[in-house]
Amino acid sequence: MRIPAAALPSSPQPTRLRAVFLEGGLIIAWVALLLMLVLILLSRGPDMTDTPYFLPASLMLAVALTVGHTTVRLRRHAEIAERKSLLSKTLYEFSRELSGALTAADVADTTFAFLASAVGARNARLIPPAEFATPPFPVPASRIEACVEHKRLNWEPLPDGAQHALLPLAAASGTQGVLAFEAMPAVVSHPDFVEYIETVASLVAVALERSRFAELARETEVRHASEVLRSSILGALSHDLRTPLAALVSMADTAALGKASPERQKRLLEAISRQAMTICQQMMNLLDMAKLSSGSVELNRAWQPVDEVVGVVLTQIRGQWRDREISVDLPRNLPPVCIDAVLIERVLWNLLENAIKYAPEDAPIELAVRQLGDRLEISVSDSGPGLPDGDAGRLFNLFQRGRQESDVTGVGLGLAISRSIVEAHEGEIGASDRLGGGACFRFTLPIGNPPDVLALG
Amino acid sequence: MSDSKTILLVEDERQMREAVATALECEGFAVCEAASASQAAVEAAARRPDAVILDLGLPDRDGIDFIRDYRAWSPTPILVLSARTQEKSKVDALDAGADDYLTKPFGIAELLARVRVLLRRGQAMPAAPEPKIRFGDYEINCVTRVVERAGEALHLTQIEYRLLVFLAANPGRVMTHHHLLTHIWGAQAADNHQYLRVYVGHLRQKIETSPACPRHILTEIGVGYRFEP
Repeated sequence: MRIPAAALPSSPQPTRLRAVFLEGGLIIAWVALLLMLVLILLSRGPDMTDTPYFLPASLMLAVALTVGHTTVRLRRHAEIAERKSLLSKTLYEFSRELSGALTAADVADTTFAFLASAVGARNARLIPPAEFATPPFPVPASRIEACVEHKRLNWEPLPDGAQHALLPLAAASGTQGVLAFEAMPAVVSHPDFVEYIETVASLVAVALERSRFAELARETEVRHASEVLRSSILGALSHDLRTPLAALVSMADTAALGKASPERQKRLLEAISRQAMTICQQMMNLLDMAKLSSGSVELNRAWQPVDEVVGVVLTQIRGQWRDREISVDLPRNLPPVCIDAVLIERVLWNLLENAIKYAPEDAPIELAVRQLGDRLEISVSDSGPGLPDGDAGRLFNLFQRGRQESDVTGVGLGLAISRSIVEAHEGEIGASDRLGGGACFRFTLPIGNPPDVLALG
Repeated sequence: MSDSKTILLVEDERQMREAVATALECEGFAVCEAASASQAAVEAAARRPDAVILDLGLPDRDGIDFIRDYRAWSPTPILVLSARTQEKSKVDALDAGADDYLTKPFGIAELLARVRVLLRRGQAMPAAPEPKIRFGDYEINCVTRVVERAGEALHLTQIEYRLLVFLAANPGRVMTHHHLLTHIWGAQAADNHQYLRVYVGHLRQKIETSPACPRHILTEIGVGYRFEP
């Protein structure tokens, strides 16, 4: 095991040697002074001629002794101060490292690393309050209890000669846990050890407390955000789903009266069917979003040409909006992409449907696919009114409508769903205004390395 | 209307069954209804329908089991109705021998159109097969293995030819990836969907006027392909 180089006032040997040396010198000086005084007394002859020489010599020796003592004392103080400053420095560095630790786990890791380097601690672990009743082997619960109650460092020798320490981590809001570690007796018996390790404990306790509060704050923030989301969901549902449902009921009731002309009757019934289909599609969007945001969607990826997906979506769109003109720019020989075709089809459908819904009926819509380096970009542009003012990225948020309270049906899910799907494919989605007017929505898909299937023949 | 076609409608939800049955009757079909798989099996044996419309979510048994049992003795075309959450079972149903599918909610006009296509196919089947398949400007001679567009021979590779013939011989029917792969390449290729996509792509380049908006070989995303003559 390594005994710390930096922290615990490391090797006491040189200091002690120096002290022994100095103190030895002083003792010899004292003996010399005594000898001299004895000589003065003994040599007092009748003429007393020698006395004046001995007296000043003794005085000088006494002064030298006093100075020597003061020096020794000062030196000791300086050594202690130096040692303390070294300790403070390691503690300061430790506390700075702790301030960077955001979670309880980070705090624990930082502490373990510090203890290992500072006091050569091994098998360090943090026992949180939740585990006090059932602490990990081999610590008995009674020891933890005593340690927490007395708020004192608690020792127990181990069979291999090391000491097992339990260090309570007390902070203002209560005990944050108990730090358990093993250390060598040489380190533990150092006079400064207890004070030092208890300072460490208080630093760790404060850091743990702070991380706990930070976590609480984060949770509160998340709760608040989901509260806001929930209310916007409720708002969207009550307006965007109830309105078409109300219309549906009125239309069905009118048809049931049976007083309208057969022609009117037929139109009513067709409108009911269309309306119900729309509501159904919105329900599907809601369900899809719920599935996507709960993370339970597994991508069913396969290598395929983009043309295939584009073709299918165009066929569907042309089936629903016969008269809308969509121009397609689809270069030949595009590389295949590894995608979940069902989901990418949804993205493309959503973008085209948006363009059709928000742009005036005679505004042409353009769909273009092109290769940009290692990605494929698919863009849907229209020459409608363009994006609403403000942050274009916001359009992709949940329940964000291009225009609030407009006659355009929908609940503001299409783009949010599209974003989730594209991001699940490691792609990017964005929107911008076009130079000549109108909006352009585009997303990219990584191309990757398609397998060489033609080798199969 | 003794020559009217009989359709077996298997659907456990009463309102849905009523609506579809009414629509079919208005079109001049005779409809027999069943609310469960066991009832459907009895009706199918007793009435010998010309087509079956089967909802996949039945209370007593899996619709796919019904298809397997039914296919053991009858080639009658089956149209499967599936909810959107049943993507997988839809493919399983087609693999088990169903001919086509519709996802709920669907338009009644669409349903009637699909039923008519299935009935036409059912009718055409027993007739002596001609070794020639025609669609659009194309004619496939299955004896000489020559494909011609407006009298002009088209060069197709072995696999492209087999793929085209297999698709064209089953017009209107949804062929799953699995089905096509095992038929053309053999069972060992059943999961290699990308082979299929590459060859369908090549075939489209050769026979479709606009490969991005195909007229004949249509993609059923996540399921397979459907050939429209």
